[in-house]
Amino acid sequence: MIELKNITKIYDLGTVKVNALDDISLSCQKGEFISIMGHSGSGKSTMMNILGCLDKPTSGSYHIDGQDVASMSDDALAVMRNRKLGFVFQSYNLLPKLTATANVELPLIYAGNKNRHQRALDALESVDIADRASHHPSEMSGGEQQRVAVARALINNPLVILADEPTGNLDTATSHNIMMLLTEQCQKGITVIVVTHEEDIAKYTQRTIYLRDGKIIEEKRR
Amino acid sequence: MSIWESVKTAWQSIFSNKLRSSLTMLGIVIGVMAVVLLVSIGQGFQQSLTTTFNNMGASALYISSSTDKTITTVRPLTFEDAQALEDKTVAPSISAVSPTLGSRGSVSYGNNNVTIQITGITPAITQIRNYQMEEGRFITDQDTTARNNVVVLGYQAALDLFGSESPIGKSLRVSGSKFQVVGTMQKMGGFGGDSYLLMPLTTMQSKITGGNNVQQIAVKAASPELVDAVIAEITSVIRARHYIRTGGADDFTIQDMRETLNSMQQTMATFSIFLGAVGAISLLVGGIGIMNIMLVSVSERTREVGIRKAIGAKRRDILLQFLIEAAALSLTGGLIGLLLALGGASLMGNISLGTMSLKAEISATIVIIALSVSVGTGLISGTYPAFMAAKLDPIESLRHE
Repeated sequence: MIELKNITKIYDLGTVKVNALDDISLSCQKGEFISIMGHSGSGKSTMMNILGCLDKPTSGSYHIDGQDVASMSDDALAVMRNRKLGFVFQSYNLLPKLTATANVELPLIYAGNKNRHQRALDALESVDIADRASHHPSEMSGGEQQRVAVARALINNPLVILADEPTGNLDTATSHNIMMLLTEQCQKGITVIVVTHEEDIAKYTQRTIYLRDGKIIEEKRR
Repeated sequence: MSIWESVKTAWQSIFSNKLRSSLTMLGIVIGVMAVVLLVSIGQGFQQSLTTTFNNMGASALYISSSTDKTITTVRPLTFEDAQALEDKTVAPSISAVSPTLGSRGSVSYGNNNVTIQITGITPAITQIRNYQMEEGRFITDQDTTARNNVVVLGYQAALDLFGSESPIGKSLRVSGSKFQVVGTMQKMGGFGGDSYLLMPLTTMQSKITGGNNVQQIAVKAASPELVDAVIAEITSVIRARHYIRTGGADDFTIQDMRETLNSMQQTMATFSIFLGAVGAISLLVGGIGIMNIMLVSVSERTREVGIRKAIGAKRRDILLQFLIEAAALSLTGGLIGLLLALGGASLMGNISLGTMSLKAEISATIVIIALSVSVGTGLISGTYPAFMAAKLDPIESLRHE
């Protein structure tokens, strides 16, 4: 499903070269719920960017669904992000001037789909936020916004959802709800990868990967 | 992503920033308005000029006394000079001759009082200038011989003095004397327009100016090709009558309408280009305004670009979004500018400067040019900001606050 082999990412800062990721190999199965943990500077953000096809590794290979991502052009990566991946961010990242429905429709616009409105409403329904369909992000609570963000991530039926600190701005009860929502998606067969620094959040997942200095130092299965 | 979706996205962005969008548009509004209005004024001027010259007669020549200060004796032109030119044996290329004498004077009817151009003419003038009767009759040879107190009114003069009344047969006063209106003329247009009064030259000489002099002699060539021959004939006849020795300078000048028209038209064309250039500069300033705002907009919306890219927008999608936004801004500005220019042009029709009225002629060509130039300005000024937006790194952009 997802296959990383000997992934290395080196940032060339002129005088210094930073090894953000150092020979990482990892494979994830369909429907797996995985967390990536580590302190800041451990390389977990870089890992997330590479998994999310937002950045390319310096060396190594990365396959999603059998396709080699490492060698793709920027436009091909954009298509990959659009069709195969869904993003959930710590700060929700909804467009403030669009309604919940319009935000959820966005990936469909770039995919060139018709019947977008109905599909967006269905997606909102599936994450129990249909009553906020015509609200703008500023009129919603953090938990509600994150639900809309999950709906947006789900709209194109992705293989993988990448969640970067999805509960970082939420209280405990809301965090629980969002994690349960992500668990549900796993049960539907979507691979969910969560980056977090909270052990409590990692506990929701089946498998936790610990990163330090760009290397995998430990792996825990529950 | 289809173009249509890009257009919708661009509109959303324009509408959600109403104040900024309108201020940005203002530059283009003023630019387009300036170009359209200024070029149209130029064209209107040119058209009035052409009308004026056509009314004066295309193959007409006008003889008047020289104003050259180096000529010591200038003999005034007389009625007899004009009669001499009618002699076919010495001037075979001339088909019509009409001496004229003009001055501005006040004309009154009842309580209405206007100061207009009063010209003494002979009936032959109708063969030279483009006079068309509206009502009544023109001045006749009999009026000339009998020095009758009759006048013919220009279209505007008749309107100003008589309003909706028919002037025919009515009496009016010119410089204190009573005259009877025998005819009115059709509308001619051009500079000088239709505010004039005509009376027999002989009446003008005895009742208004006194003496036997004329101001100008209008001459018509038998055909346009004969204009040069006519100039030669006039020169020899008038020189002989004015006793000018061989080698002496002419004490009169001959104005050839074709030449004057050509040189005036050239001047006007230059004037039009100049006006267009002034407009183009304001359009340029408007374009810079758009570029400036689009650049600000790109840096303000970096995060938006990051989000769009993360969920699947390609470079091309982002490029188009910003480019279409710039083009839509300037096209809207262009349309508003055009409407204002149309309004301005119709207002301008009511402004008159002395004898000439300012007129703007808006042509389809200038409308099309102005709109395509405004969209072009938007596209050109939008290209760089759009390119900057398209090449933003999604990771950096998502981190951007």
